Formats: sequence, structure tokens, C-alpha cells
Amino acid sequence: MTQALLSVRDLVVEFPKRKTRLTALDKVSFDIHPGEILGMVGESGAGKSLTGAAIIGLLEPPGHIASGEIWLKDQRIDQLPYDQMRRLRGKRIAMIFQDPLTSLNPILTIANQLIETIQTHLPLNDKEARARAIQLLDEVGIPAASKRIDDYPHQFSGGMRQRVVIALALAGEPELIIADEPTTALDVSVQAQIIDVLKRMCHVHKTAVMLVTHDMGVIAEACDRVAVMYAGRIAEIGEVRQIVKQPQHPYTQGLMGSIPSITERVERLTQIPGSMPRLDAIPTGCAFNPRCTQKIDRCTEDRPDLIATDQGQVSCWLYEGDKP
Amino acid sequence: MTQQVLLEVNELSCHFDVSKPWLNRMIEREPQRFLTAVDQVSFSVNRGETFALVGESGSGKSTIAKLIVDLIHPSSGDIRFDGQSLPNTRGEAFKTLRRRIQMIFQDPFASLNPRWRVGDIIAEPIHAFGLAKSQVEVTRTVEELLDKVGLAGRDRHKYPHEFSGGQRQRIAIARALSAQPDFLVCDEPTSALDVSVQAQILNLMRDLQDEFGLTYLFISHDLSVVKHMADRIGVLYLGSMVENSPSDQLFKQPAHPYTRMLLDAIPDHEMSGRRRKQVTGEIPSPIDPPSGCTFHPRCEFANAKCKQQRPAVHETQGSLVSCWASEEGRIATITG
Ligand SMILES: Nc1ncnc2c1ncn2[C@@H]1O[C@H](COP(=O)(O)OP(=O)(O)OP(=O)(O)O)[C@@H](O)[C@H]1O
Ligand SMILES: Nc1ncnc2c1ncn2[C@@H]1O[C@H](COP(=O)(O)OP(=O)(O)O)[C@@H](O)[C@H]1O
Ligand code: SF4
Ligand code: SF4
Ligand SMILES: [Mg+2]
Ligand SMILES: [Mg+2]
Repeated sequence: MTQALLSVRDLVVEFPKRKTRLTALDKVSFDIHPGEILGMVGESGAGKSLTGAAIIGLLEPPGHIASGEIWLKDQRIDQLPYDQMRRLRGKRIAMIFQDPLTSLNPILTIANQLIETIQTHLPLNDKEARARAIQLLDEVGIPAASKRIDDYPHQFSGGMRQRVVIALALAGEPELIIADEPTTALDVSVQAQIIDVLKRMCHVHKTAVMLVTHDMGVIAEACDRVAVMYAGRIAEIGEVRQIVKQPQHPYTQGLMGSIPSITERVERLTQIPGSMPRLDAIPTGCAFNPRCTQKIDRCTEDRPDLIATDQGQVSCWLYEGDKP
Repeated sequence: MTQQVLLEVNELSCHFDVSKPWLNRMIEREPQRFLTAVDQVSFSVNRGETFALVGESGSGKSTIAKLIVDLIHPSSGDIRFDGQSLPNTRGEAFKTLRRRIQMIFQDPFASLNPRWRVGDIIAEPIHAFGLAKSQVEVTRTVEELLDKVGLAGRDRHKYPHEFSGGQRQRIAIARALSAQPDFLVCDEPTSALDVSVQAQILNLMRDLQDEFGLTYLFISHDLSVVKHMADRIGVLYLGSMVENSPSDQLFKQPAHPYTRMLLDAIPDHEMSGRRRKQVTGEIPSPIDPPSGCTFHPRCEFANAKCKQQRPAVHETQGSLVSCWASEEGRIATITG
């Protein structure tokens, strides 16, 4: 097996509060390989965005990494000084956010923004950088790129803007792209196009992608493997087909059943009772135990770590002793 | 016997004035400009059923919702509720009609007054429409409603910010029900919620529909949600209803090329192996829509006639379709 491009090990992120501290990410571990798209799913507040922010060193203080390690190939990056981290961002790791407008400067043309980003990362003169910019726009599917490059962001539709953001992310030829809900603000029809671009880029450039989304459709379509997050922990990781067709963790099972089907109509959707706990009220033992219909005695006392099964990894006591 | 049709929308249109201010227009010699958000839309909703509106962003879904609950006035056309014309009824009669139609919005954060206690929010329609004789009765009704939507009676003392998104949507539903409506207009009621919370709310809405015999106009851009909820579905494109079909029919045999395009674009989250097709082009500007059939620039079946003449509605196998190719039998029906 090839070396992982990104390795996250037992990552803990905390927010100190006046009297206590909130543990927002609790021993999160996963790998992403070159050319692989790893999906991160979970309901809002599960910790998906924080995981991305921790990796690129953009946690909002007082939030900080309390323990654990993050490796980009052979380099440990969770303790890098600010300057080195800044150079890494955009160059080796790029970010794509939900709202394309937050990543684009409204008063600069697309050309200005792309050329500047390209020249920050690559030693190209203006003419070369412009040619590269047009090539990038072309790659992400902007028709008549050489004509449209001098337009301003507001002259583009939402879907086109998100393509430009992807082009910007690709400008430094990064090894890892963290895409946080990149299609959530777009119509399904446009969503399909953007996912296609991401997949193609990942395939062509062997970029590793961490795709954060709460949309299972996007996951099923784009990802190779998926990590399911619940209350700041990883509930389950596995091949996307396994997770969709045969989820192992009781939470994932509930989550899959709650999605309305397009092929058959059921009277009632599966419903997980209750709601995800707030950070200041995470139960002891398995964080899912108050909502779990399969819980056993030790679930309320001991916290399950990720257990390897023949289908992936799952943090649930039901699978203990199942090791292949 | 009561009439089967509860809501009937006839040739409804809504134009927005999107001109620059008068002075700029004079200086720049620009004409007044109008945006057609809803263009001669007709459909009817049977009592106890769920009619869904689908379409891409900007297709006019929310505008139709606002027209029905009288938040905006139609430019032309009529809306008849239980046989009475909404735009032409005034006074007490209108107040009664208006009570019977309530609305639930997408954003459960914005639709509840943050400074009011939940009990007061839910009680407001009860007071406004004089539906209780005493304060004791108001309180009892509020507690019953909270219980019906899966919250606790004592939650009436709390403020909206103390609740999660899903719980706030439950409060919004309780508030809508407190007016004792028979018709609920639901504009993307679960779009802001996570799928697991969405499942809870959709189940609740189904239960309430059965219990109170409610009729729903259900708006969503998520076709799998619509399939789960709707009896009939209207597909909107640039303000026009291009297809109006029974739900099963629409998914089995979509008649309009745009409906097919929407269905093909649904992500295959069940990994059934269905191939998702690329969508070509984007929705054009509603200020300057294409001639003839407004879908023609994106349609693989478009011909010269499509570019010139707006297609009329025709009926095929229970579907109402506006498309020349469908009417002329130029589209092979897909069976699936
Ligand atoms: N007050 C207004 N003034 C001018 N144009 C408007 C106004 N309200 C809506 N529109 C326009 O009317 C069209 C239909 O808008 P509407 O909000 O009904 O779309 P929608 O189908 O609900 O979209 P979405 O899925 O994004 O909610 C859009 O082009 C919109 O920009
Ligand atoms: N600046 C912050 N201060 C305190 N808590 C935070 C902060 N940012 C995020 N959190 C909390 O961390 C948890 C995970 O957040 P996030 O990663 O944004 O979730 P997701 O992206 O999965 O929706 C949530 O409970 C959130 O409220
Ligand atoms: S560890 Fe126990 S409570 Fe947690 S998911 Fe597994 S069975 Fe349920
Ligand atoms: S009328 Fe013509 S352009 Fe319009 S949808 Fe039908 S075939 Fe396509
Ligand atoms: Mg997030
Ligand atoms: Mg809307």
C-alpha cells in the first residue's frame, strides 16, 4: 500500500471555557491517500469543519489542538510555526469553502486573482501565469475561458464561481484539497457538474481530497471512502459502498435509513430518537448511547475506540472481538 | 358533500418591477424592466392531498407560496380556496379564509420572534383569530399543540434560542396549527435541517396530516423528499409549470424534457448503479427569458417551432405537459 498523504492521529481539539473546557474533536484518526477522495459526513456540529480547520491550522482561538498528530507525508504539520504553515496553505494544501463569494474578491477580475495566486506559488512571469490561468479555467469547465477571464465574480453564476474557486485551489498544484460543503449552496443540477470537476482533478493530478458534506448523495457519488462523525468522534470509516449498503455503526444505520429513497416509497422514514448532544453534555461511554437501540451494559461506561472489522473501522462495542 | 378540490390556482402571474430608479432611467434612457417570477401558472390541490412544487433556484416556488398566503399580490390570475377567490375577497370573509391557510418557512431561525416566549408565539394566532374563550383555554391549547409536535408543555416558558433547528421547526408547525387551518403551505420546511432531523419532521408532518386531515402545498428542491411526501408534483421552470403529474407517474415516466433532466441529475445516494447524467447549461435570466419555449436553449429535442411558439398544455396519461415534442410524439417514452 502506498504511503498515506495525510495522516491524522488521535486528534483532540479543545475550546477552553471559563470553568471547563469543551472537547470538540475527541481522538479523531484517519488517513487519506494520493488520488483518493475521503468523505466526511455527520450532522451539523459533529466536527467536520473543525477537522478541516485543524489540518490547515486555521482553528479560531481559543480553540486549539490539545493532543494528537497530523502528518503530511513525512512532515508533521500540527506544530508548525505560523509562517511555515502559511506557506503550506495554498501550496501543498488548498481549501474550498461552501460559499464561493467568500473566497473571491468582488473588486478584482478573475484574471487578477488567479494570476496572483499562481505567482505566489509558481515561478512564472505575467504572460505565463495568464496562460496557466486560462488553462486552469478551461480544466474546470468554464466555456470560452480566454474571453471570460477578465470578468468580475458577480458576472458569473453560482456554479461558475465555484468552478473559479476550484481553479484557484488548483493554482498551487496542491497535494491535498480540503473542500468544506463545496456544493451545498448549489442546485442539484450544478452540483453534479462541480462533483465531476473535483473527481476529474483528483484523478488527473493525484490530489488527495477531504470532502466535507452532510449530503449522502454527494458522498455516494464522489468518494472512495467515508468517515462518519458523531459528537466530535469518528463513528465509522469504510469504503463508501459498504457504508451506504451495509452500515455497521448503529448511528450510521439510522442515518442511512432516514434518507428518503428515490426508488421506493416507504410509509415512514427511519427515525433516530432524540438529537446529537451539545459539547457540554456528551454522555460518558459511547457518545451515541442514549439514542442507541442496540446498547449493551458497558456502552454507558466505556468509550469504544475504532475497532478494525473486515469492512473497515467502527467505534462500537458490538464489534469487539470481530477482528479479522 | 364537500368539494374535492380545496385550492385552485388559475393562470396566476406575478411580475416584479426591477427597473433602476426613475432618475437613473431617465439619464441612461433605459426602459422600465420587469421580471416574470410566475408566468400563467395553473394547478389544483385536492383536499387531504400533498401537492409539491419543484424546480431549480429562482424558478418561482417561493413566489407562488407567497401569492397563496397573500404576502404579495398577483399581477393577474386567480387563486380560489374552497370555492372563494382569495384576491377578490375582503373583510371578515377574507380573515376566515386566511386563517384556514397557514405557512411554514424554510428558516426556523428567522421565522420565530426571538424576544417572545414559545407559548406566546404559538398563542398569537389563537388571539388574532379569537379561537379561545379564556386564558386558561389558550394555555391548554398551547400545551396540547406542543405535545402534538413532540415537545413538552412546559417548553412554552422558553425562548426560541433555547431550541435546536429541528425543535424550532416543530414550534413553527405548532404555531401554524394553532390557527386551526386546513391548508399548510410549506416552503422548504426541512432544507435547513440535517437528514436525521429531516426524517423526524417529515414523519411528524405525515402524522399531523392524517390526524387533522390537512392539505399541503409542499415546496422543495430535493426530489427524494418530494417523492416521499407528494401525491402530485408540479415542475417549475423560469416561472412556468412545465409538467404537473401524479408523483408515481412523474418518477416512472417523466414527460417533459426538463423533468427528465432534473431526475437524471439526482445523486444516486443508494448506489443502485443508476448513472447520473451531466446537466447542460444553466437556468437563463428571468428578466430576459428565451423566446418560445423558455427551455429551448437547454433542450435536446428543441426545433424551430420550439424557439418561436410557446407550447400549450396538453394531457398525456394523467400528466399535464407543456412541450411540443411531447405533444407531437417526438419523445420516446422511457419505461423504467
Ligand atoms: N421582491 C422581488 N423583487 C424582484 N425579483 C424577485 C422578488 N422576489 C423574487 N424575485 C425573483 O423571482 C424569481 C423567482 O423567485 P423565487 O424566490 O420564487 O424562487 P424559488 O423557486 O423559491 O427559488 P429558491 O429555490 O432559490 O428558493 C427569481 O428570479 C427571483 O430573483
Ligand atoms: N469558535 C468556537 N467556539 C466554541 N465552540 C465551537 C467553535 N467552533 C466550533 N465549535 C463547536 O465545535 C463543534 C463542531 O463544529 P463544526 O466542526 O463547525 O461542525 P460541522 O462542520 O460538523 O457542522 C460544534 O459543537 C461547534 O459548536
Ligand atoms: S457502543 Fe453501544 S451505544 Fe454505542 S453505538 Fe455501539 S451499541 Fe450503541
Ligand atoms: S417545447 Fe421544444 S424546447 Fe421546449 S421542452 Fe419541448 S421540445 Fe424542448
Ligand atoms: Mg461545517
Ligand atoms: Mg424559495
